[in-house]
Amino acid sequence: MSLSVKHLLGIKELKTEDIQNIFRTADNFKQVLQRPIKKVPTLRDTTVANVFFENSTRTRISFELAEKRLSADVVNFSASGSSVSKGETLIDTVNNILAMKVDMVVMRHSASGAPWFLAEHIDASIINAGDGINEHPTQALLDAFSMRERLGELKGKRIAIIGDIMHSRVALSNIFCLQKLGAEVMVAGPPTLIPKYIQDLGVKVEYDVKKALQWCQVANVLRIQLERQNKPLFSTLREYALFYGINRQMLDSLKKEIVIMHPGPINRGVEINSDVADSKQSIILDQVENGVAIRMAVIYLLSGKRDLGE
Amino acid sequence: MQLHIRQAKVSDPASEFHNKVVDITIKDGIISKVAVSAKKTGETTIETDGKKVYASGKGIVYVSPGWVDILADYAEPGHEQKETIKSGLAAAAQGGFTDVFLAPNTEPVVSTKSIIEFILKKASGHAVSLHPLGAISQNIEGKSLAEMMDMQAHGAIAFSDGWKPVQNAGLMLKALEYIKAFNGTLIQIPEDASIATTGLMHEGIASTRLGMPGIPPEAETIIINRDLQLLRYTGSRLHFTGVSTAAGVDMIRKAKREKLNVTCSVTPYHLALTDEVLNGYSSMYKVSPPLRSEKDRQALIKGLNDGTIDCITSHHRPHEWDAKAREFEYASPGMNIQELAFNIVLQALGDKADLNRITEAFSTRAREIFNMPAATIAKGSVAKLTIFTTAGSYTPTRMVSLSKNNPYLEQELPGRVAGIINNNNYHINQ
Repeated sequence: MSLSVKHLLGIKELKTEDIQNIFRTADNFKQVLQRPIKKVPTLRDTTVANVFFENSTRTRISFELAEKRLSADVVNFSASGSSVSKGETLIDTVNNILAMKVDMVVMRHSASGAPWFLAEHIDASIINAGDGINEHPTQALLDAFSMRERLGELKGKRIAIIGDIMHSRVALSNIFCLQKLGAEVMVAGPPTLIPKYIQDLGVKVEYDVKKALQWCQVANVLRIQLERQNKPLFSTLREYALFYGINRQMLDSLKKEIVIMHPGPINRGVEINSDVADSKQSIILDQVENGVAIRMAVIYLLSGKRDLGE
Repeated sequence: MQLHIRQAKVSDPASEFHNKVVDITIKDGIISKVAVSAKKTGETTIETDGKKVYASGKGIVYVSPGWVDILADYAEPGHEQKETIKSGLAAAAQGGFTDVFLAPNTEPVVSTKSIIEFILKKASGHAVSLHPLGAISQNIEGKSLAEMMDMQAHGAIAFSDGWKPVQNAGLMLKALEYIKAFNGTLIQIPEDASIATTGLMHEGIASTRLGMPGIPPEAETIIINRDLQLLRYTGSRLHFTGVSTAAGVDMIRKAKREKLNVTCSVTPYHLALTDEVLNGYSSMYKVSPPLRSEKDRQALIKGLNDGTIDCITSHHRPHEWDAKAREFEYASPGMNIQELAFNIVLQALGDKADLNRITEAFSTRAREIFNMPAATIAKGSVAKLTIFTTAGSYTPTRMVSLSKNNPYLEQELPGRVAGIINNNNYHINQ
């Protein structure tokens, strides 16, 4: 079964069945990744370009590993030192890559909506690896997939997303994905980092992180995106860590054990302390591991191939 | 040159022939005769020197005082790949405008008399009259006053920093005071750059869902509030253009009750569209001020119909394909809209369209506000006329403008502009 979409631009456009389909496929690939030979020949005739107009280490490596484990040929393009700095447009850059017979494009871009724009102008399938402050669909899929591993089906489960909601593409994709799977979602953080109309998406809003932790079963803690801020949004990292950072003491004061997640990279001692990030409640490294399986599933399903290669 | 308009219905609340079907004779650019039509064939025609240049076919069309566009950008000098004065004037004629105020944001900007003279020279002899707007601040840097007196003496019709509205309150205060000496008027797009520049679209549920940074209505109301206070202090004259929010319209309504010398205008696209059209991230809809909510749109329509909003202004902003075919964030703001302004307004207003108000908003109010000749349809008046119909429809398949950044191409729109008569000259749309 393939997906209802040609591209993975955002979770917005996905149907719930698409998400379930991706999860089932990722379950299979996760088993493949446990084997001594962690590779299938499924995409050996397919070339994927990872086009990153913004710095990324972990997402790019995760995609590259997913592609290689599907036996796809991989080319990497990053904006620094490339033609973009010479003034080339996005369409030209991508068309030049496609002219070399590339089948699929994985793109990260700093402008919200850039993958939608590109999808109107090129033929190849596009996977959004993060656009501006909008979406990061594969991160949301791997987050939900990891929660599902711990908690079972997510219907009725309570998930809090904590931190910089405004500048995080992870937050929006997570909200859409979790809602499609029937979970209840809360966002928590300083008011300056929460979009004013976010409650209209059907999420709860909380400014007190302790209350959010008391409410939830899973806390997905987001990174404070220092590099994104061009406005005064909070006073100091010290104050943020004091009032919004997740520490051991807070978790111990809860009457239950909640699951801790973080999409990385972590600012230790800011949004999350080491004694939380490295605790047994944390599934941060599971998220990283599942990222490869989820991305294999997405690439496979969008490639239109029917053979899992097993 | 002699022109005869036969059997056209007058839309001009100031004329004794308002709503009557008349014959008009024009000699050398002056209306020499107006009389109720004796013949009733049910067709409007225009003849010049014995030659028929226009026939409406079935149905009578309207004639009104020539339409005025208070803010349009022809990008010359500096960006002739977007538009030139020649192509812009052709677009204006197509859209039914006899008078156009030109945005000062050229390169170099219109902040000295020499640029005013250059523009007027380029536009002379055309059926459309071009009126340059002089900059308020030198080089539109928002720091010190430009030579507004000298520019007015050489043909600047009013003063504005155009797409870069004055941010500094002190400068705005001095500008409002300064123009009192020569009865000038300032035109300001009410937008606070410190709030607006960090956003890409109206802040609301749509921006939240689309993951785009928002621009709250306060970007507009803060400047309206500030400038109204400065207006109260100085007793000067100010026109806001591109008003986009319900709250902004309310503030101006109250200020008018208080008898402040304030007027305002709205664009066709703010009357027609809301932030919901941005769902596909199409840069065609990237405009500044941004498209707002449906509640705001309804408030603009109400404001137009009750006269709070005086005029309709195109904010015509042509861009070459490359400036628009980019990521939303990097695409240039603005819509190429002058030649379809009337049709878009008719469609936007639908059954709320009031023809008297439309004529006032396109023509007579601007003539009053900016001290232009009245162009009333009466014997002895200068013949500045727009001929149009609200019936039928028009599907634009190409643009007269050099650029194509208009989302209404290939869409059926109501009404039709037949042509203009102005400057002892005429233009008939084919």
